[in-house]
Amino acid sequence: MEVIWFVVFAVLLTGYFALEGFDLGVGLLLPVLGRSRLNRDRMVAAMAPYVLANEVWLVAVAGTMFGVYPLLEGEILFGLYPLVVAMLLCWVLRDAGLWFRRRIDGSAWRGLWDGAIAFGSLGLSVGWGMALYAAATGFTASPVHPVGLMLGVVVTLLFAFHGWTFLGWRTPGLFGVTRSGRVLAVSGLVAALPVLGVLAGAAPYLLEHSAPPATLNVLSVMVLPVAPIMVGAQIWVWRTFRPGKDASRLPSFF
Amino acid sequence: MDVLDLARTQFAVTGSLHFLFVVLTLGLAPLVAIMHTRWALSGGPPHEGMTRFWGQVYVINYALGIVTGLVMEFQFGLAWSGLSHYAGDVFGAPLAMETLVAFFLESTFLGLWIFGWGRLPKWAHVACIWLVTLTAYASAFFIMVANSFLQNPAGAVVSGGRMHLTDFAALLTNEALLFSFPHVVGAGLFTGGMVLVGASAYRLWRRAPEFAFFARSLRLGVVTAAIGIVVTMAFGYAQFGAVPEGKFGGHNPAAGIALGLMIQFGQLLGLVVLFVMLPMIAILPRARWTHPVLIAMTPLPFVLSILGWMAREIGRQPWMIWERLTVADAMSPGLTAGMVTASLIGFTAVLGLLAVVDYVLIVRVIRRGPSAVQLGAAADEPRTPALSY
Repeated sequence: MEVIWFVVFAVLLTGYFALEGFDLGVGLLLPVLGRSRLNRDRMVAAMAPYVLANEVWLVAVAGTMFGVYPLLEGEILFGLYPLVVAMLLCWVLRDAGLWFRRRIDGSAWRGLWDGAIAFGSLGLSVGWGMALYAAATGFTASPVHPVGLMLGVVVTLLFAFHGWTFLGWRTPGLFGVTRSGRVLAVSGLVAALPVLGVLAGAAPYLLEHSAPPATLNVLSVMVLPVAPIMVGAQIWVWRTFRPGKDASRLPSFF
Repeated sequence: MDVLDLARTQFAVTGSLHFLFVVLTLGLAPLVAIMHTRWALSGGPPHEGMTRFWGQVYVINYALGIVTGLVMEFQFGLAWSGLSHYAGDVFGAPLAMETLVAFFLESTFLGLWIFGWGRLPKWAHVACIWLVTLTAYASAFFIMVANSFLQNPAGAVVSGGRMHLTDFAALLTNEALLFSFPHVVGAGLFTGGMVLVGASAYRLWRRAPEFAFFARSLRLGVVTAAIGIVVTMAFGYAQFGAVPEGKFGGHNPAAGIALGLMIQFGQLLGLVVLFVMLPMIAILPRARWTHPVLIAMTPLPFVLSILGWMAREIGRQPWMIWERLTVADAMSPGLTAGMVTASLIGFTAVLGLLAVVDYVLIVRVIRRGPSAVQLGAAADEPRTPALSY
């Protein structure tokens, strides 16, 4: 049972990096590739249908951590208090930017929220690198360490590359590249490599600190039967919004 | 303020902000789902317009529900790690189910609904909004399971200094849950109904061209608010059987005051809805003198909702888990006033500002009316000049 729940946890966290990675990547590239308002609209429209289905993987990670690793949840989040608060604020700003940017039609308004998307994506990406460094050291080292910052830059570059690949897949040619679905899957895997490494290292420790069998049984009975629906809903999103002539259709709600 | 007061203030501020948006989400989701179903059945423009207009109000409101909810979820680990240490094996289960089963699906289906306009088959699109509604209510249920455990720790035993889950069914049939969950559902419907009433009254008062549209919305709002307030009051009073002694007693005057205010004003509002608005339902759309009153009533359900939570949560003090764990012991060991002050300022400033912006945007949608709605706008649709590129 501990193994099943470790796999669930690992899949959710890896999935977050592989999926939300390209949303953050597109956000990072907004000031780089989106020089005109039309191009920024197209970039956001390309990722918009996926964002809600992608970011929720991290919400599920946090919930799983609370349910399966209750003793570690507090330790990890509290141990990284300033970093977690900063990352949460970046996430909030990125989301607010997406929801608000097209609600009023002025240049200053759009610029403000497009800036919030880019800033929030950057903060989250760098924060993830720093958090992974702290996790790799068993939360003994401060995340504000040259190696942590370097890992932050690496994660940021990986996400940006993944975002660029995603744009090449969903809006072929619009942003200079055309990419197949297979290449997108590979870049997703690459974006998730840092977290896979940390998970592999932490596996024995996590397995040791799982919640007792009674709790895991309840979670299994309640959650595992719903898992096919969760997978099905995600597949539905990818089938509905696959590339096509209306992939970057405007106006998009975001 | 010491560090405990600061951490409690942080939870109270973010929790209250979160519920302001959640309570409207719970009320509007089923209403939008009903409108969308009627649109699919009739194919007629009035229902399509209503789905898109009230749907846009719903999703703009939803944005703040999400971002405030993110902060709520992570706050348990940030400031209250003592709770997961002591009772994580019990409290973690409903919280994990809320995020994994309910919110995961809610967010996924909402994305499909918002961006599936013109892409999804008609009935698949309708199914999405019903699935969003269903999972939103499942979310509310699991959160109330978790909260009710704090109010009345049923289904668990203490051994070795930690709580262990012994009876999951007892968590789901907790006497602190059975009446409080329908109470929250009723409050959501009441709030959703009153927002429909207030916004429709505003459009009618301004002599908007879409008279039939807003007359219909206003009547739907009155009926929903009437159902909501009856459910809220019935399950509100029913909860008193399960209130532990001393909850609203001498050491928690704030909880008693909040409870008293909520009951007084809730009853008054209930009387107005049931014995004035409901009998007048047919003439309200044309009775212009009532419209300013209906508009002015819109904020009241939100105030009452926050008062209700204050009564329930302040009444639980000084306990985090009733008679098992105090809030002081639940706080993360080593938390400093400086840390909480910084995060409290950050969360309050950012979320507070975004909340204000969100309400301004909702009011703007209502002021501009159905012709300027962006949700579900088709690519070839003629756009109003102010919205064009």
